[in-house]
Amino acid sequence: MEIRDIIGEIQIPNVLAFLPEIVVLVVAFLLFTLDLILSPQRKRSFLPTISALGYTLALLSFFISSKQRGDTFYGTFTNDPLGTLIKIFEVVITLTILAFAQRYFTHRRSFYGEFYYILAFTLLGAMILASSYNLIIVYVSLELVSVGFYILTALMRGSFISKEGAFKYLILGGLSIALASYGAVFMYIYAGSIDLREILTYRSEDVHYLILGLILFLIGFAIKIGAVPFHFWLPDAYQGAPTPVTALMASVGKIAFFIPVVRIMPLIEERFSFAWMITVGVIAAITMIYGNLVALVQKDIKRLLAYSSIAHSGYMLAAVAVTEAIGLKAVVYFLVVYAIMGAGSFLVVAMLERAENWNNTTYEFAGLRFNLPYIALAFMVYMFALLGVPPTVGFVGKALVFMALSFDRLWWLAFIMILSTAISTGYYVRLVVLMFMKDREKEVRIPGGSLFEVVSLAFLTIMTIGLAVVPGVVWVLIESSTETLFAR
Amino acid sequence: METHQFPLPLVSLSILLPAVFGVGVLVLPERYSKAISVVGSGLTFILSLVVIYLFDLSKASHVQFYEEYVVLEDLGVKVSLGLDGLSLIMYLLTTLVSLVAILWSVRDHQINFRIREYFAAFLLSESFLVGVFTSFDLIVFYVFYELVLIPMLFAIGIWGYKLKLYSAYKFFIYIFVSSLFLLLGIVSVAVQHYVQFGKFSFSYFDLVNNTYPIGFEVFLFLLFFIAFAVKTPLVPFHTWLPDAHGEAPTAGSVVLAAILLKMGTYALLRFNIGLFPEATLTLMPFLVAVGIITIIYASWMTIVQNNVKRFVAYSSVSHMGFIVTAMFLINMEGMRASVIEMFAHGLTSAGLFMIAGFIYNRLHTFNMESLRGSVKFMPLFAVITALTAFAAMGLPGGSSFWGKFLTILSAREHSYTLALIVLVGAFFSAAYIVYMLKTLFLDVREESVLIHFRDIRGYKLVSFLFLVVPILLVGFFPHLFFNMFEGSVSLILKEILGLERVVWK
Repeated sequence: MEIRDIIGEIQIPNVLAFLPEIVVLVVAFLLFTLDLILSPQRKRSFLPTISALGYTLALLSFFISSKQRGDTFYGTFTNDPLGTLIKIFEVVITLTILAFAQRYFTHRRSFYGEFYYILAFTLLGAMILASSYNLIIVYVSLELVSVGFYILTALMRGSFISKEGAFKYLILGGLSIALASYGAVFMYIYAGSIDLREILTYRSEDVHYLILGLILFLIGFAIKIGAVPFHFWLPDAYQGAPTPVTALMASVGKIAFFIPVVRIMPLIEERFSFAWMITVGVIAAITMIYGNLVALVQKDIKRLLAYSSIAHSGYMLAAVAVTEAIGLKAVVYFLVVYAIMGAGSFLVVAMLERAENWNNTTYEFAGLRFNLPYIALAFMVYMFALLGVPPTVGFVGKALVFMALSFDRLWWLAFIMILSTAISTGYYVRLVVLMFMKDREKEVRIPGGSLFEVVSLAFLTIMTIGLAVVPGVVWVLIESSTETLFAR
Repeated sequence: METHQFPLPLVSLSILLPAVFGVGVLVLPERYSKAISVVGSGLTFILSLVVIYLFDLSKASHVQFYEEYVVLEDLGVKVSLGLDGLSLIMYLLTTLVSLVAILWSVRDHQINFRIREYFAAFLLSESFLVGVFTSFDLIVFYVFYELVLIPMLFAIGIWGYKLKLYSAYKFFIYIFVSSLFLLLGIVSVAVQHYVQFGKFSFSYFDLVNNTYPIGFEVFLFLLFFIAFAVKTPLVPFHTWLPDAHGEAPTAGSVVLAAILLKMGTYALLRFNIGLFPEATLTLMPFLVAVGIITIIYASWMTIVQNNVKRFVAYSSVSHMGFIVTAMFLINMEGMRASVIEMFAHGLTSAGLFMIAGFIYNRLHTFNMESLRGSVKFMPLFAVITALTAFAAMGLPGGSSFWGKFLTILSAREHSYTLALIVLVGAFFSAAYIVYMLKTLFLDVREESVLIHFRDIRGYKLVSFLFLVVPILLVGFFPHLFFNMFEGSVSLILKEILGLERVVWK
């Protein structure tokens, strides 16, 4: 090959399409540098402020990047509506979590400057993961997110369960990445390409390698999203992690790990769509039943919400089984709104943990309405949303999943979903009943809430209802992402 | 179905009005709560009378006051509100009974804590209930249908009697879980519309055009039916009702029995029969059988209760059995009987629950026998009780007479045996009402206990008058009410089911 041809092949990357990621990257490096040079007192005010400003800037830069659609960096980075939607939610939710993190860590006497730049790198990884079809890029960004989460989980000073959770997460996370990359290798062998779009549209008689690769890839991600029977790390990591980090894992983490699976959905062709439907459907069914059953007997609120998060992975996987436009819409909508509900409910717990003598047990919620009426109200909204009572986003999500299942006539899965939602009624309603209908067990007082915290919680709570009553706001992006994904 | 618009959005106004007052109650200090609630529900009631005045009875089968707001173009979700004759009578019942419930609560001794939340719960439930009866978009209907649960959950769980938490759980879980089947049914119907017409729609007017293979239609019918059968309730899904109604505060039981149960029967008539006519005709014998079993079983259960509230609760179940039986006899008399009985039972059951609440207020017990011989000391109360109870029994001149009479008439069109069975059901209801009256007022006198008790008066008397007058109106001038809904009902019979008369297969 002539040198001229090689030069001719060189493209100038469209940096504007990549702008939000660049902003987050710069913020991450800035935080890293400042963490080294600033004095401990200054860190406490500078690092959160710079993070918040940086993420706000990243949010603004979506106005520019969303006009630059298409592939860049030789097709390894795709800027499409789906990616934009997901990334906006990731950044917004990271911002709200930031509001809670500082008070929480100060209260726990485990303020680390590292938290802020690792958070930024994790967010960066999640953003790239949401916008690539390239197996190598998926692998690298998956590692970036995962390593970030391992460290963040362990960031609780003097807490054994935090270290235990992080260790379990590390081991099973390592296994999942090994399986996913092994699957990627088989897919490469099958099609001779590392681009998922080319792999899944490649025509060949012998599809053994493809199916093996897809299954391994799926199992790898199933571990990450906590699908049963690959969920064992999840309750421990969620319980052990500092609660704002748990909120991050339940929201940004869940979105990020789901997106590569979602991107595969439109590429599933007729000849193996049945195998896909059965595999994913069975995993979904087991996941929702198991998650809800185990959540029913939990006494610790963080573990309860962790199992409810597992169950929600099941609901989303049920929609993933339907490889039609409506299935994709359902799963994308459910993903972004679960991020809001999940983050919101964990953040309420993060606030409550600052109260004296708070042990995170469910019965401590008794009579919370008399102590903290607004927090109880917000938590009630999340509980009803997670249960799927209208007019909350959880209801719209479940309705969409039912629609998808009915579209493919997967009645058995729909009935299993009704059954598991029925089981979940027990523990969600119990919390509402405890908060509003029982007398209070003890005084609960939260010292020193910040304005940023209150605004963030109010924002998440309003979004929990608002995105259901006025779904058009996100639906514009969901519709156009479905169109672009199914256009191929 | 034709729709007519109206320059003012009166229907959404009557949904918003109680909700706004409800929020007002929550925000303003507690001493204004009662006044605001009475004014709020009173205004809504007056608004509903205005709407009825403006309603064009000559086009009762058309949807009038129609409003439409698009929520989601892509999935065809739009808020479409309106009133046809059937909705109209339910709407009137809702605003009337909500006003009565709130008037009653003003002087209810049980309600002496968290007063703001209490009245807000009732105003919000009124708003949602109006939404249920006026929505012509199935997903919006479902949203209101579920939303009603939340204020009721709170009403039972906070202000209820001894077993309040247990009953609140049971109520919520039964209704919520069963309505998940409804949700699956609704989205399936919308998906079928997409398959047949190329676009999603949840609008009733679009969905009536769907056609299905008979097996699938029966399946969809059953998905809807499970939810409404639990709500109505039909035996064997009725077990939540005695607990919820028995333990709820008086006004809560009033709203539950008078309006919430009607959501089930209203929806059966509008959606199950309207959307799945073939399946209705196929399942007709089964449905009538379920209705008759409900009548007879619930009547027996009623007679053995000595807790007056559970007594009234079971008697509600048996009346709901009449409504469902009449509805699925599928002829003009049956449909008429069913709708007029919905309205009549709303009035009488509200009255009976208020009687139970009054007894508890005076005696602090629900034991029926504790009031024996009270006719001498509380004559006015006895008269009102007798009037309500005889009306519930089906005495001519009372409101339930038309329901029972027409049910028997409609069963006779199929066969005399069937009419006889229904007649036996009506006999049981007469038996338990007479038994109740005898136990409450006649029997032995226990003057020493009762002599201090004051007769009914004040707000409670006023709220009773709001029920007694319509009960007599229905009894003596039924055509006033028949005129409202007859058009809608005959539309369902003729255009949707496509027949004048079905003979028992």
